[in-house]
Amino acid sequence: MSKESDKLYSTLEKEALICGRCGYCRSACPVYQVVGWESAAPRGKISMARDIFSKKQTSPITDDFVKRLSQCTLCGACANECSTSIDTRKLWLDLRKRIADLGKQPKAYDAIRDNLLANKNITTFDNADRLEWAQDLDEPEQLEPRAGADVCYFVGCVSAFFPQAAQIPLAVAEILTEAEVDFTTMGGEEWCCGFPLIGSGFVDDSKQFIKHNVDKIKEFEIHTLIASCASCYHVWKHDSEEALAGYELEVLHTTEYLARLIKEGKIELNELDEVVTYHDPCDLGRNSGIYDAPREIINSIPGIKFVEMQHHHQASLCCGGGGNLQSVDADVASKIAHLRAEEIKATGATIIVSACQQCEQMLTTAIREAKLPVKVMDLSQLILEAMG
Amino acid sequence: MNKEIVQKMLEKYGDRATDSMFERSLYARDLAPVPAILANMLIKTLPDIVVRPSNTEEVAAIMKTAFANNIPVTPRAGASTVYFNSVPTKSGILMDLNLIKGIVGLDEEGMTVTVKAGTTWSELDEFLNNQGLAPKSFPSSAPAATIGGWFCMMGYGIGSMKYGSLLSQVKSIEVVLPDGSIKKVSQETNPALDWFVSSEGTLGIITQLEVEVRKLTNMKHFLLQLPDARKMLDTMKTIIDAPVVPYNMHFSDQECLKAMKALGFSPANMDIGCIIGIDYEGSDEELKQAQEIIDSLAVANKLVNPIPQESAELEWEERFKALKLKRGGPSVLGAEVWLPIKGLPAYLEDVQKMARGYGLNLFSYGHVVTPEYATVMTTFYADETQTIKYIINLSLVKKIHDIGHRYGGNPYGVGLWNSPMIGRIHQPPQLGELRKRKQAMDSKGIMNPGKVYRAPLMLNPFNYSLGMNVLAGVRRVFGKGW
Ligand SMILES: Cc1cc2nc3c(=O)[nH]c(=O)nc-3n(C[C@H](O)[C@H](O)[C@H](O)COP(=O)(O)OP(=O)(O)OC[C@H]3O[C@@H](n4cnc5c(N)ncnc54)[C@H](O)[C@@H]3O)c2cc1C
Ligand code: SF4
Ligand code: SF4
Repeated sequence: MSKESDKLYSTLEKEALICGRCGYCRSACPVYQVVGWESAAPRGKISMARDIFSKKQTSPITDDFVKRLSQCTLCGACANECSTSIDTRKLWLDLRKRIADLGKQPKAYDAIRDNLLANKNITTFDNADRLEWAQDLDEPEQLEPRAGADVCYFVGCVSAFFPQAAQIPLAVAEILTEAEVDFTTMGGEEWCCGFPLIGSGFVDDSKQFIKHNVDKIKEFEIHTLIASCASCYHVWKHDSEEALAGYELEVLHTTEYLARLIKEGKIELNELDEVVTYHDPCDLGRNSGIYDAPREIINSIPGIKFVEMQHHHQASLCCGGGGNLQSVDADVASKIAHLRAEEIKATGATIIVSACQQCEQMLTTAIREAKLPVKVMDLSQLILEAMG
Repeated sequence: MNKEIVQKMLEKYGDRATDSMFERSLYARDLAPVPAILANMLIKTLPDIVVRPSNTEEVAAIMKTAFANNIPVTPRAGASTVYFNSVPTKSGILMDLNLIKGIVGLDEEGMTVTVKAGTTWSELDEFLNNQGLAPKSFPSSAPAATIGGWFCMMGYGIGSMKYGSLLSQVKSIEVVLPDGSIKKVSQETNPALDWFVSSEGTLGIITQLEVEVRKLTNMKHFLLQLPDARKMLDTMKTIIDAPVVPYNMHFSDQECLKAMKALGFSPANMDIGCIIGIDYEGSDEELKQAQEIIDSLAVANKLVNPIPQESAELEWEERFKALKLKRGGPSVLGAEVWLPIKGLPAYLEDVQKMARGYGLNLFSYGHVVTPEYATVMTTFYADETQTIKYIINLSLVKKIHDIGHRYGGNPYGVGLWNSPMIGRIHQPPQLGELRKRKQAMDSKGIMNPGKVYRAPLMLNPFNYSLGMNVLAGVRRVFGKGW
């Protein structure tokens, strides 16, 4: 999403008419690359949206259309390419909201919502157990919510509850401890950031999650929040403005914060003899504009040879894990991850680093299935390794 | 189309073939939002089946089936054309060529690349850039347009000024003929290469092309503001005649600048006069000379206003974004004219007269693609949600072409919608030759029927002219401000 297209966005009806059907977006869309039909290409979906919404519902909303709308990772590659500067990511979200308002959303979205409303996190675990992962730390109780801390680490559901992802918060916590940062977490008071609800079209429901988290941050008198999940970060940075109005909160992705600590000399990095490539998470890179901090960190580790993949920065290819795609079509999500695995393979890297637990999960599975001799790591894990 | 054949193809190509109504409906349209009521009256745009072959052999097998059963075949790649070029007119098989993509081989000594037809120009550019090379030219729709698609169209765009048409850069092609046979075609074979350029998929399906490449060099970009179209033409001529040939030269008239400014997209926020963008590529020495050429223009003539370098660079970065104008729409209608540049000032003047006569804004921009010719796009805003008004507005497209014709121009590209004007594009002997070729190559008329050679009955030149003139008359009397 460019700043320009974000500003220009008018209404779904108008933007759908503005689309010139040039197809630039199609070339960039990972879902189109995997599915291959025009109906899966951004311009195809917009063309149908135009018939349905801009031309005053002359066409019905079919299940096929709803399916295609849900087969989208919200990666924003289409918005980046759009020749008429349509913020298509916003348009997809608008469309999902319209569909949900009409009660025509996929069943999988209902399941996401019901679960979130019941559990406040994307799993069926008790939300009070959010700090379960921290039991591996020397002093886990230190992470219990504490008012007035300098920094609050917003852990995110995947890191908190998925054992495979637990290494990420552990690494972040260890680094922050080593760097003597006065930090805390929201513990069981942290709720899902709301992204899965926004991505399912249940924007109103997402607001109560955002409000809850913001209220807690205010209550804990936190003024710097860091998130290691790119989507949580995106919600805090871009969707929480209203709830945060009048309150001063610096929102940073962990990569930004850790790059700062490295610059300030608070983290010492030893030599690592590895070839490393970096996967830009869509919500951190293209959709939030953060490309430099992760690369600065990698390049500040002595001995590392850094190589870019074929698609990087704004043109980066999605991992397949965004936009709730896995919940509606795990096969398409996995095929997209395999496209990315091919690009990783072509770099000859020994380590692929990302900065989002969802990306790390997707890429880990794809790399294992493709039997590549490549280690998948979050940037925080790489830093920890370099700290020895 | 015979149900059994459809079924057999579905079985053979699995998830690469579909007869689903939902999927097919998206292949019955291109960039042009032509109201279904109008299109359906004239032609059958909905294919019976869409199939996505992944190699030449599959293309050949599909063509053999089509040939044996007299089934129309419409090739479609980027579908970035606007005249229904890749939209069926008689249903049948829609052959989606986007899986036929990738680089086959690079000959660095011979400076050519062999590339599959469905590769986009941006993909080829990216591949070549990594090798220190670049395509000699590409269309200003490079992110979507394919190598095969541009060859089948006119093949003029960015880089043509310096390196000529795409035809002059292609060494050979692999083509599947309507009977399903596979042939390698060059300028020495019969049929020859030039038969296929601008053939718009009516003679066969191109699966692979060997194209010349150039060394990737540095570039320099300039933007000049001129007070009017006559001064713009003088300046263009001086630049064209100078010792260093520009890689690319494009221009916008005042109305276009105004529209861009209103949308916040104008380079350097200008809305007075015309602009020319000039891009050079080459050795450092050539670029130095280019700088001197442009500097001397401004020194010699105070009316030539050089715009700061950053704006010129931004303009180049935005080279694929001509459609941005559409934000002022919602819809845009227009005509693209292949025009001798000497007629440009008079053309632009008449266009503005027409604008006043019909009470609308007409914006013109274009590329100078040879020392004598430019492709000029003249567009205006419309609203496709207002079907009747929109259909009446369509008549103005012909009026723009009429102005182009007055100054030696003709439509750039044919497809379906420009087919009534085929007599303007080709002289009778030339058209006769093209029809002979079509007959020789595709006697059954199954390859992209309804395009290029003659208009379908309802759109024959007489009906078309009469219909459009009547509608334009209605528009002139009742349509001010539509
Ligand atoms: C913003 C914009 C800028 C443009 N700039 C230019 C420009 O600078 N110059 C220019 O010439 N055009 C331009 N165009 C028009 C169009 O994009 C180009 O002509 C483009 O090259 C068409 O390629 P495509 O892959 O989209 O072909 P399609 O639209 O899919 O097909 C074009 C025609 O070729 C046939 N075809 C396609 N592939 C094959 C094949 N492999 N074998 C046989 N037949 C085939 C189709 O049946 C059709 O008749 C522009 C369009 C837009 C929207
Ligand atoms: S790039 Fe933009 S204008 Fe072009 S088809 Fe896609 S959404 Fe439409
Ligand atoms: S957001 Fe990504 S997956 Fe969704 S349509 Fe755009 S490019 Fe495709």
